[in-house]
Amino acid sequence: MSNNNWIDGLNIPGKPDEWEVKELFKAYSIETPKGILLKPGMEFTGTELEQPLVVKVCDSKILHKSDIGGVKLNVKKDFGKVIAEMNHSFPDSSLLIEEMVPYSGLEFIIGALVDPDFGPALMVGAGGILTELYKDVTFRLAPISKMEALRMLNELTVSEVLTGYRGSKMDISALADLIVSVGTLITELGSSFNQLDINPVVFSDGKWVALDGMAILNL
Amino acid sequence: MSITEDLKPLFYPESVAVIGASSNPDKVGNIILGVLKKTVKNLYPVHPKAEEILGLKVFNKIEDLPDNISMAVVTISASQTVEAVRSCAEKGIQIIVIVSGGFGEIGGEGTALEKELVSIHKEYGIRLLGPNSLGIFLPETGLDTIFVEHGDKALSGGGGIAFITQSGSVGTEALGLASNTGFGMRAFVGVGNKVDLTETDFLNYFAEDKETNCIAFYSESIDDGKIFLEKAREVSKKKAIVILKAGRTEAGQSAVSSHTGKLAGSDKVVSGAFRQYGIQRAYDEEEICDASKSLSMLPIPDGNKVAVITAAGGYGVMCTDYIEQKDAGIKLHLAEFSEKTTKKLNEVNLSFASTKNPVDITASAGDEIYVDTLEAVLKDEGVDIVICLTFFTPPAITNDLVKKISNKALEFNKPVITFAQYGPYTNKYLKEFYDLGMVGFSSVYRTVRAARFLVERSDILKTFGEDNE
Repeated sequence: MSNNNWIDGLNIPGKPDEWEVKELFKAYSIETPKGILLKPGMEFTGTELEQPLVVKVCDSKILHKSDIGGVKLNVKKDFGKVIAEMNHSFPDSSLLIEEMVPYSGLEFIIGALVDPDFGPALMVGAGGILTELYKDVTFRLAPISKMEALRMLNELTVSEVLTGYRGSKMDISALADLIVSVGTLITELGSSFNQLDINPVVFSDGKWVALDGMAILNL
Repeated sequence: MSITEDLKPLFYPESVAVIGASSNPDKVGNIILGVLKKTVKNLYPVHPKAEEILGLKVFNKIEDLPDNISMAVVTISASQTVEAVRSCAEKGIQIIVIVSGGFGEIGGEGTALEKELVSIHKEYGIRLLGPNSLGIFLPETGLDTIFVEHGDKALSGGGGIAFITQSGSVGTEALGLASNTGFGMRAFVGVGNKVDLTETDFLNYFAEDKETNCIAFYSESIDDGKIFLEKAREVSKKKAIVILKAGRTEAGQSAVSSHTGKLAGSDKVVSGAFRQYGIQRAYDEEEICDASKSLSMLPIPDGNKVAVITAAGGYGVMCTDYIEQKDAGIKLHLAEFSEKTTKKLNEVNLSFASTKNPVDITASAGDEIYVDTLEAVLKDEGVDIVICLTFFTPPAITNDLVKKISNKALEFNKPVITFAQYGPYTNKYLKEFYDLGMVGFSSVYRTVRAARFLVERSDILKTFGEDNE
């Protein structure tokens, strides 16, 4: 998939939804949870996905979906009922149904934006819903080398969780690779790129997985 | 033409015209003419009516000036400046320092006038510094277009620091502050509103200048950001670069809908980019002077292990706290002395002295003990930096201590930073240290901060090594 095809194929021009953002991630070998998209009005006829599931409203017009009941976690046998409820609450929106990824340990955020003076810049830091409270983040201009990505991670206050703090086992090298990939992604989007959040990024079963993604493009 | 040749008429002019020269001693055009008269042989005042100012023959029109003038300094009002600059360009003057204000910084009409300057530059290829610039000061030759007090006598000894500032007053105030205790200035450049010459041009110029070993900038906006950074990374392999970037702007309005946009708000992108490109960042006028002085004068340490020598216990404890401070970004550690060093320290010190780091030689120690202690810790391979907390009140300490510490320190290729206890003689002692080639500060905090700048520089140089692997 070329970036231009991806941009041209967006449901709402310039505003990719979570499903579309994750499709782009896959093209850059960024792991995402296994999932399916249920468009408005589509009947849900069962799934091969393994339970438990996550059901999310998937609509680029909704920025903070968990604040308005747009995310249901740990959905098991009653998924039919949950999906029906979500369809009722968000009749015009698609639903994203994903396998729930098990993980423990710290959540990270990887982000990017265009600085008015210096151009495209990458960010990594402590993620999750409290990311703006911790403010433990660092920036570099994109694209970057793996060495530079490692230096970013080592600058964070939380860096020690990546190097065995209290028995934590996370792969710092693979996280650096992921940052490099995001740098390549935004560089290749070129002038279309505006901003990106991947939050949280978690370490699950030996791999870093992007659980959520948000992107804004220039029209 | 290379930037070195382009800027030759600015730094080494053979002739200078002052547009707006005045016989009124309160006017900028009089002060500048007076200062330039001391060093510039071919000096041509321009004034519409006067015949003679400060004993120099006055030219009533720019058109009447001799040909091939290197540089003009323009001090007239903004509205008159545009035409004067055009006349200078017509006359073939190579470079113009526009001291006049009232341009882009006031908006409206000023912005329109500034645009006219840009088009004159483009049309004639004439190089422009400013407007709203204090111009330049070059201790090497005494060339000076600055019309305000700037510690000129103290700075005239020269040194390795090129100081490029967007704000004239921040620049000169900083120099005044630094000159009290010695500051090795290679050149001062006020870039002002930057219609033509920018930070990048002077970065290019001083990169090639053999006498410059540290380049310091005060900047509110870096115009061609990425080009500047790329050049800085190249220059930083050889010369330290420190920037005081003021005006911490919020990310553009469009960028606040993401977490990333909100987190970038406090100018973290700038800090990250500087780190990535080998630039060190300062946050106020004192810090940029302290940092550039240290980076220009002291050897760069191999590591971050610090030894502290003191005659007063309390200062040793305070210094240790600053060294071990975890949230200061660049990490420092107290050095652990080898057995050999400890043995030597016990030999040369009084029986009740504390010979662990920080070494407390006590108020009973004299010059000799101080210097022997310094030698012992400098010889220790586990010591990268030495901080000497010097005191001049203990009875056995003499006024020769400054010289003795300096002589010993300069035998080694390790940075020794001194602190002189605050009091009426502080600046005198610090200036003495400076004159002997040493760097010292009047607070423990600033002393330790200087050590951090040296370690940061060491890390930058190591980073370049890693990236080449």
